[in-house]
Amino acid sequence: MSAIDRLRSELTAAGGGLKPLRVLSASGQLGYGIPDAAFAEGLRRKPHVIGCDMGSIDPGPYYLGSGNMATGEAMTRADLAKVLQGARSIGVPLLLGTAGTAGAAPHLDMTLAFVREIARGEGLHFRLASIRADIPRDAVKRAVRAGKVSPLGAIPPLSERDADIATHIVGQMGIEAFQRAVTAGAEVVIAGRACDTAVFAAIPAMLGYPLGPTMHMSKIIECSSICTTPGGRDAILGTIDDEGFTIDSMNPVRHATPMSVAAHSLYEQADPYRVFEPEGMLDTEAARYEALDEHRCRVSGARWDAAARLTVKLEGATLVGQRAVLLAGCGDQKAIAAIKDILPAVEKTVRELVGTSVTTPFQLFYRTYGIDGVFAWPDPPATLPREIFVMVECIAGSAEDAKSVVAVFKQYLLHHGFPGRVSTGGNLAFPFTPPEVVTGPAYRFNIHHVMEVEELEALFPLSIEDI
Amino acid sequence: MKLIDVARVIRSKNAGPTTLTIDLMFNERADFECALAAPSLKPAAIARLYGLDTAQVRIIPYQAAIALKIVMDRKLVAGDPGDRDVYGAQQHGPFLGIEI
Repeated sequence: MSAIDRLRSELTAAGGGLKPLRVLSASGQLGYGIPDAAFAEGLRRKPHVIGCDMGSIDPGPYYLGSGNMATGEAMTRADLAKVLQGARSIGVPLLLGTAGTAGAAPHLDMTLAFVREIARGEGLHFRLASIRADIPRDAVKRAVRAGKVSPLGAIPPLSERDADIATHIVGQMGIEAFQRAVTAGAEVVIAGRACDTAVFAAIPAMLGYPLGPTMHMSKIIECSSICTTPGGRDAILGTIDDEGFTIDSMNPVRHATPMSVAAHSLYEQADPYRVFEPEGMLDTEAARYEALDEHRCRVSGARWDAAARLTVKLEGATLVGQRAVLLAGCGDQKAIAAIKDILPAVEKTVRELVGTSVTTPFQLFYRTYGIDGVFAWPDPPATLPREIFVMVECIAGSAEDAKSVVAVFKQYLLHHGFPGRVSTGGNLAFPFTPPEVVTGPAYRFNIHHVMEVEELEALFPLSIEDI
Repeated sequence: MKLIDVARVIRSKNAGPTTLTIDLMFNERADFECALAAPSLKPAAIARLYGLDTAQVRIIPYQAAIALKIVMDRKLVAGDPGDRDVYGAQQHGPFLGIEI
């Protein structure tokens, strides 16, 4: 009997209704460390499904662009081992979405390699399903030509060239992909780029729990204990029945209050009431939040509107160049007062000087921390700080070129003679040398668009292996 | 009164790489109502602070959490060359000095 058939028979009540289903969200984004106590408590509650989100677009374009993970290898392996062993020890399905931070082929393949090694090392045997999220460039270009691709937010319309220059293109899969995997008998599902909700909603939706509360619960627990007060990354348990769901943090000091759970709809969202997924829209406008006790919250009332047209969110990043930075401090009041004129003056000199040796185009940025490095304040502060930190950044065609530009900038900034200068020993304090640091390739998101599609199954192919 | 004296939370974060969202959360409905009515928290005033067009700023009241959500276009897509804040988590500075 497959895992899903077992669950179906276990959860069907005498009168034909559904018993409560428990979904455990193991932690916040997997790979940064899973708090043990809360996860262990979660396992003790006998969840029917364990899920975990393994990625996000929030860390920026580098991870999707490069194919690298944001999380360190050792911690990622440790977290994967924890959730795998936990799920196998109680014999319940484990679903992970957006593998390896960005969910493209290299991220998914690396995650699968870790999973196979862990299984081998621990003597674990199970049916593994992996689901790819890489969208073929031709499919995207065809959709662009057919006028079926639109920007998501403030980004230019997609061109066919964008599809060519993105290093990877992923689409965000929804619940149907996970459902296919579970129907095929998978006990562990590792997916590429996926909607955060799909990981947790797929099985309850398959079993017939109401879609509005199912999607709403999934949206909340995918962030683990961000929805509690105080917030954190500890495991959280969502229990769904045929009328609503309960949120219960597995850390006894983190309480899911009506306010903290309701407030979670604000987090990282442009609209607290509506969440768009490939297959439809979650509407939480009529949701009600009630305290069951001081630790747990009961939620009901969310609605699910199935989409008239299926859509897939596309993501892609393209290489901009190689980046090098200069890191230096300054503690001279006169230099600090003049810095906003000094930096452009040095840039002018640098561009004239490197013209013959750096022949590819390059970009130069500088940030003055202590004044306006973090936020583009329109006016200077009322009083200038005693010290500032200056970061000069160059993105060029090669690491050597970027480093050259930044090195010349360093030398001229160090010795720049501005009006009123008294610190003729040098304008900068280097915490170490070399103060020019090559930070590697720089990417930018060039694809963040919605594509209308006829069907989802063909876009997210399933692969099954028995480990 | 100063917003920072009555708001429990004043935070910013990206809502995807093309959008910045600022959440103002209050303990008292009266303070929330005051913020909702304040000229300093209207789209035009906020757009000026952030160097945007008024049409690029939306305000969404969220009664369930006694909160005001402000949504605006990011000027640069997150992580673009020249970005100051890839996560957008430190773009709420101006709100700490606002009077409502």
